[in-house]
Amino acid sequence: MGMRINPDPTRDMLAGLQQDRQQADQAIQELSTGRKVNQPSDNPAAVAGLIVNNAQTSAVNSYLQNISTLQGSLQEADSTLNSVVTSLSQAISLGVEGANGTNNQTDLNALAQEVNGIQQQILGYANDSFEGNYLFAGTDLKTQPFVADDSSTSGVSYVGNSGVNSIEIGSGQAVPTNVPGSQLFTASGADVFQALADLTSALQSGNNIPAAESEVQNAFNYINAQRTFYGTTLDRLNTATSFLNQESTQLSTEQNNLVGADMATAASQLTQAETALDASLAAGGKISQQSLLDYLT
Amino acid sequence: MSSLFGALSIAVRSLYAQEGALDTTSNNIANVNTPGYSREIPILDEAAPLNTGQIAIGNGVDFDGVQSVRDNILDLQIDQQTQQQNQLQTYVNSMNQVQSLFNDASGGGLSSAINQFFSSFQQLAGNPTDIPTRQAVLSAGQDLASEFQQTGQQLLTIQQGLDQQVTQTVNQINTDTAQLATLNEQISSQPNSEQANMLEDQQYQVLNNLSQLVDVAATQTNSGGLTITTGNGVALVSSDQSFALSTATNPSTGFQDVFSQGSDVSSSFTGGQLAGLLEARDQAIPAVQSNLDNLAAGIINAVNSQSLKGDDLNGNPGGDFFQPVVQPSPGSNAGAAENMAMAITDPTLIAAAASGGGQGDNSNALALANIQNNPIVNGETATDYYADLVSTVGNDVESATDEQESVGLVLTQLQNQQSNTSGVSLDEEAANLILYQRAYEAAAEVVAAINNLSNDILQTVQ
Repeated sequence: MGMRINPDPTRDMLAGLQQDRQQADQAIQELSTGRKVNQPSDNPAAVAGLIVNNAQTSAVNSYLQNISTLQGSLQEADSTLNSVVTSLSQAISLGVEGANGTNNQTDLNALAQEVNGIQQQILGYANDSFEGNYLFAGTDLKTQPFVADDSSTSGVSYVGNSGVNSIEIGSGQAVPTNVPGSQLFTASGADVFQALADLTSALQSGNNIPAAESEVQNAFNYINAQRTFYGTTLDRLNTATSFLNQESTQLSTEQNNLVGADMATAASQLTQAETALDASLAAGGKISQQSLLDYLT
Repeated sequence: MSSLFGALSIAVRSLYAQEGALDTTSNNIANVNTPGYSREIPILDEAAPLNTGQIAIGNGVDFDGVQSVRDNILDLQIDQQTQQQNQLQTYVNSMNQVQSLFNDASGGGLSSAINQFFSSFQQLAGNPTDIPTRQAVLSAGQDLASEFQQTGQQLLTIQQGLDQQVTQTVNQINTDTAQLATLNEQISSQPNSEQANMLEDQQYQVLNNLSQLVDVAATQTNSGGLTITTGNGVALVSSDQSFALSTATNPSTGFQDVFSQGSDVSSSFTGGQLAGLLEARDQAIPAVQSNLDNLAAGIINAVNSQSLKGDDLNGNPGGDFFQPVVQPSPGSNAGAAENMAMAITDPTLIAAAASGGGQGDNSNALALANIQNNPIVNGETATDYYADLVSTVGNDVESATDEQESVGLVLTQLQNQQSNTSGVSLDEEAANLILYQRAYEAAAEVVAAINNLSNDILQTVQ
């Protein structure tokens, strides 16, 4: 007589059924969640990678949000400065007109009044704000930076500070967010308000008009030069945005590689597991239904 | 010289023997589904021959009782694998609960709260004086603190659940050992009987039960009883006496330690459910908890010390952002996660500005945001440390699960092997039934023949 065969195959059958069900469950979970990793033990390294990936994704989103906020305020500041430049070029024309020697004092007074109006206009521009923060106050964002001040020779005082904030637009990459108003409007040798005040009084007195006009020209050139900050920074932000968008795509591809389910594979695994399960159940149903006892009469 | 009545007595003994064999078969069939039952075989021996002068004549068959078919070595292996299997299974079940707390792959876990917290400082840097933005920083800090608190609390809850199971398991162990002591007593009082076979089956069954609960080493005594200790020699059963384990609260952990005859044996178990429970409760979960506390403390300390360097919106020097860590003993951050809480509730008190930088300065907010990239916990960033923590838990569960599966396969094989040897096969029993029945019928025929012969003789004599 050969080796005795295990007369009770149910244990094997149950173990097989359990394994088939487990595989089917796993495939169903992958298909329904879209993830092949649903708990740390499914793939510990992938989950660790995912956590780092999530942190990077969150940082990229922060940078993108920083950029979009900054773009708004820089564009606003640049367009305000554009208006300032336009106003200054009007003042220059008025100065040229006043200097051509054909004006009587009444005409000059009218020109002076216009120049004074331009100064008031530029004072308004210099106090421009974006989303509740003054654009040209340094970092003293909540204080109106330029105030009319009779004790000042230019008639205007700067009460902001000279602070510059930076924000991050990438890991370790900071960009300045502002140019302080004192640097833009009241720089020594290019003080916009002083130049306009000087032109106003030159027109009123009829003296030194060309000198005052060239002072305004000076301020005009200076402000134009300062504006390049906004242009270059906005360019930098655009470059950073496309870089970050690319990084974001890459991160999400990586994330999908780490934990995303391959739907086609999962679906075929499910089919396989179900087939195996059917077969095991069919086999299980036939187990031990008969023995020799059935044939003894 | 033989006799007619000698033949009769042989036939009658044969009837008895076949009856005994039929009984055995019937008993096997009856117990085909009884757990722990080992099939029995009748022991039929040729009876000692009758010596009549120069010739010896066969004297029939003797029924010498029944014998259980079991392989003691196999039983031992099964018990050992059962101990390992149950230890691993209990451990895996416990740690599965733990890993569900760190399910960052399914949107759970702490990582998103950590990311949002640091991201809120980035927002603050973009708009350092804005009150709603500051409020958002406070909410993100509060969320982070709550996540740490809850995770710490849930780890404790899992430990408490395991602690209750430790007590229950100890009670079950005591029930089993008491029963084994009783069986020892019964077996030694009636050795080598049919009764003893049944008792041995029970003994095996209870021992296997006990193996699910705790690691055991069993040695058989001369009387057929079992002397049982744990793998590390803690006495459980000796002849008719069992040594109950007991539990008592450990004042430093608040959990139940296991005692045997007055000494703490909690760390001596190497198998069974009890070892799995104790390993998860006393080693694995405290390790996770301690990593979680270190992470919480790392974040709290870094954020607080940066806050102290800056100015708040009112131009005052910044204070603590979170409640400072209170170390229960030097170098220990125990409780840091569970007790994590905000120190400020007023949004103007967030120190976004550098010291003396004025209210709209954002450099301290930027520095706070950058803590995310700084090595603040054991030389790692918060994110990397957390990723390590989660993958350590995952690896632990993964390897224990793999081990459990392979032990399970070995166990199934051993159990099959045991069934090969000891299991009741109805085919086999049916075949035996035919065999014994025919033999019985034949013996009965012999009796009938002798009856006829003796009748003939009696009639001849009359």
